[in-house]
Amino acid sequence: MNVIEVNNLTKYYGKSRGIIDVSFDVEEGEIFGFIGPNGAGKSTTIRILLSLIYPTSGSAKIFGKDCINYGPEIKKDIGYLPSEVFYYDNMKVIDLLKYSASFYKKDCSKRIKELSEMMDLDLNKRIDDLSYGNRKKVGILQGLLHEPKLLILDEPTSGLDPLMQQRFFNLLREENKKGVTILFSSHILSEVQKLCNRVAIIKEGRIISLEKISTLRENSYKKVTIEVNSPVKGEYFSIDGVSNLEMKDNTISFLFKGDTNLIVKKIAEISISDVTIEEPSLEEIFMHYYTRG
Amino acid sequence: MNMVLHELKSCRKSTIVWAISIALMTIFFLSLYPSFSSSASLVKKILEGYPEPVRKAFGISIDDVTKFLGFYSYMFSYVVLLGAIQAMNYGISAISKEIKLKTADFLITKPVRRDEVLTSKLFASLISLIITDIIYLVTAFITAESVAKESFNIKLFFMISVTLFFVQVIFMSIGILLSTIMRKIKSTISISLGVVFAFYIIGMLQATLNDKAMKYITPFKYFDAGYIIKNSSYDMTFVIISLFVVVVSILLSYVFFLKRDIYAV
Amino acid sequence: MNIYLREMKSSRKSLFIWCIAMIVFIAAAMGKYAASSYVSGQSLNDIISKMPEAVKSMFGADRFDLSKAIGFYGAMFIYVVLMAAIHASLIGSNIISKEEDDKTAEFLMSKPVSRAKVITSKLLAAITNIAVFNIITMLSSIYFVGYYSKGENVTDDVIRLMIGVLFLQLIFMSLGLCFSAFLKNPKLASPCTVGIMLATYILSLAIDINSHLSGLKYLTPFKYFDAKNLIYEKGFEIIYIVLSVLIISVFIFAAYVFYQKRDLKI
Repeated sequence: MNVIEVNNLTKYYGKSRGIIDVSFDVEEGEIFGFIGPNGAGKSTTIRILLSLIYPTSGSAKIFGKDCINYGPEIKKDIGYLPSEVFYYDNMKVIDLLKYSASFYKKDCSKRIKELSEMMDLDLNKRIDDLSYGNRKKVGILQGLLHEPKLLILDEPTSGLDPLMQQRFFNLLREENKKGVTILFSSHILSEVQKLCNRVAIIKEGRIISLEKISTLRENSYKKVTIEVNSPVKGEYFSIDGVSNLEMKDNTISFLFKGDTNLIVKKIAEISISDVTIEEPSLEEIFMHYYTRG
Repeated sequence: MNMVLHELKSCRKSTIVWAISIALMTIFFLSLYPSFSSSASLVKKILEGYPEPVRKAFGISIDDVTKFLGFYSYMFSYVVLLGAIQAMNYGISAISKEIKLKTADFLITKPVRRDEVLTSKLFASLISLIITDIIYLVTAFITAESVAKESFNIKLFFMISVTLFFVQVIFMSIGILLSTIMRKIKSTISISLGVVFAFYIIGMLQATLNDKAMKYITPFKYFDAGYIIKNSSYDMTFVIISLFVVVVSILLSYVFFLKRDIYAV
Repeated sequence: MNIYLREMKSSRKSLFIWCIAMIVFIAAAMGKYAASSYVSGQSLNDIISKMPEAVKSMFGADRFDLSKAIGFYGAMFIYVVLMAAIHASLIGSNIISKEEDDKTAEFLMSKPVSRAKVITSKLLAAITNIAVFNIITMLSSIYFVGYYSKGENVTDDVIRLMIGVLFLQLIFMSLGLCFSAFLKNPKLASPCTVGIMLATYILSLAIDINSHLSGLKYLTPFKYFDAKNLIYEKGFEIIYIVLSVLIISVFIFAAYVFYQKRDLKI
């Protein structure tokens, strides 16, 4: 079943481009990555899903219901974390969370306690006095406290320290195990790589690629760098799948695509002092999407 | 309901400050009445020496000016001025503060319809205004009882006093309409002072010039105390105009607010 | 200079609206004057002149000779003053506090400028705004009052009145500046300034209807430059000019001191 169905969404702000003809589906129980450079249209898409703004054309469904017409109903089961969190001044964290909980007609106090301990957040501080990262935590709690079935996260990790990011990712994985679907927007590819099952890449308002993370990996090259003890002949590594072969003194580097066993055997036959076989990051795979015209 | 309570909480302080300011001003002005009434009896004699048409030019008859209710309605016009600023502030800030504080994302992504959001805000503003007005009414009545030497018509006193609420509702609905139309309001107070004083100055010009047409432009003249004192009733034309303005503004606010885009930061 | 230009640019639109509103007001008021019965209303003047102060101010008529254009202008003048006071209060209280309110304070203060320099630039921008507003008001007043005055020279009177207004504007502008430099919560600067401005306005009305209160006139700038005095009587009174200059300097000085010391709310 598809939790989110986006069909040909287009949004113009006056004459300037928001998104053009965006379509994708998010299946139940998956963590769906939504990546693209700044200003590509990630937030615009998300804001339409939440009916904060209205599409110029096209439609989107969440839980099988139109997200504009059934907005309030479907929002009962959505948790949203905006990219920049702003909350009412003059309120304590706990007051804001209680106010947030009051919209969902269920008792969330236990969950608030659990989450705040996990995220290490002082509930009795005033929101005005919180740092950016701590405000972000308030945002996370606020998005999770009512145990939503769908989490929409718009660049959620900015401002969190590495430890908190780790905890937050663990939290997301736990939620996901419970069956929560997650739409995760980010411009940091390694994040998406770590967490997501599938990913849509958006650029200049259009979806340019929609793939499984695992497929991307399979198709990818490995970058091999070897330090040899004694010089080897140039032809030694000239086998199928090797490209960009470079030799400089005792350093040999090349890109390899194919059966990893093959190349490891080859390396084992010579005397080496060091070897690195790098998994190219998504950055390297996607870089051409970012830079190309 | 939770939204109404939240709103009330957030404007609790301002309601108290407004109510106290208005009450203090009322006490201050009404306490000037005794000395005013003694000098006013002089005027009465002077005015009586003049023919009827000349007297009429002043708009209010002599008795009305010198009696307590005449004085009260003079002072009341400043109460209405302050009350209108308060109401306009509430109306404008209802929506614009969510946009300005960027909390609209928080509110609109909750499982509530937008019209529920607007209705809650409308209710909260109305309740705050009613609280202010009750405090005003009680203060004004107690002070009036203690300063007025002669007895005055209590029914008329209250009929005049509650028009504060009517004018406030008009300004509040204009404010809400403005806040739903304008994309972003940087300074609530600039807009509300601008609008309220524009109408106020039109009202004062109207009084000085006694221009009939201008009466229709400014809500400050819809519930004319002089008319109420003379006829013991409200001028139905203006009651209908008021209702019309309020209903249309609020309906339009709903239409605009339901349709508008809530932009990212 | 860059801060000053930035401020001028950002306040351009609002200044324009204020000026237009003022011109429209003066044109409408004087146009109404021509159409009204006041021109031949000599008899009304007689009655008014015999009334006690208290009652006169209730009619808003006061001691002006309403049969003359300048007299009528004098009677309307309180609204010019009121508009100028509101404008000045808002400019003064917003010009500093808006940086914190719009969260641009970090941007500005991380630049190599001292806070004193920031205030100076903003102060100059505020004064420019006020001066432009004042001059536009003066020119349009001279034009419209002159147009209906049947050849009488009104320029001197109007200039005198507008110099008075300039002092009043400076007082409320510096009050606003002082508040926004002093208050920890920048959002409160405008309401506090406007609140005090309205309170002093209402006090000035109360003084009109009750002569026992005249001792309080030093408390309200609205009484410092009285239109009646400026047109018909003494002209400027030294005591009020001294008082105004004193108030303005104290507020501006305080603004510098407080703003240098305060933690910015970010």
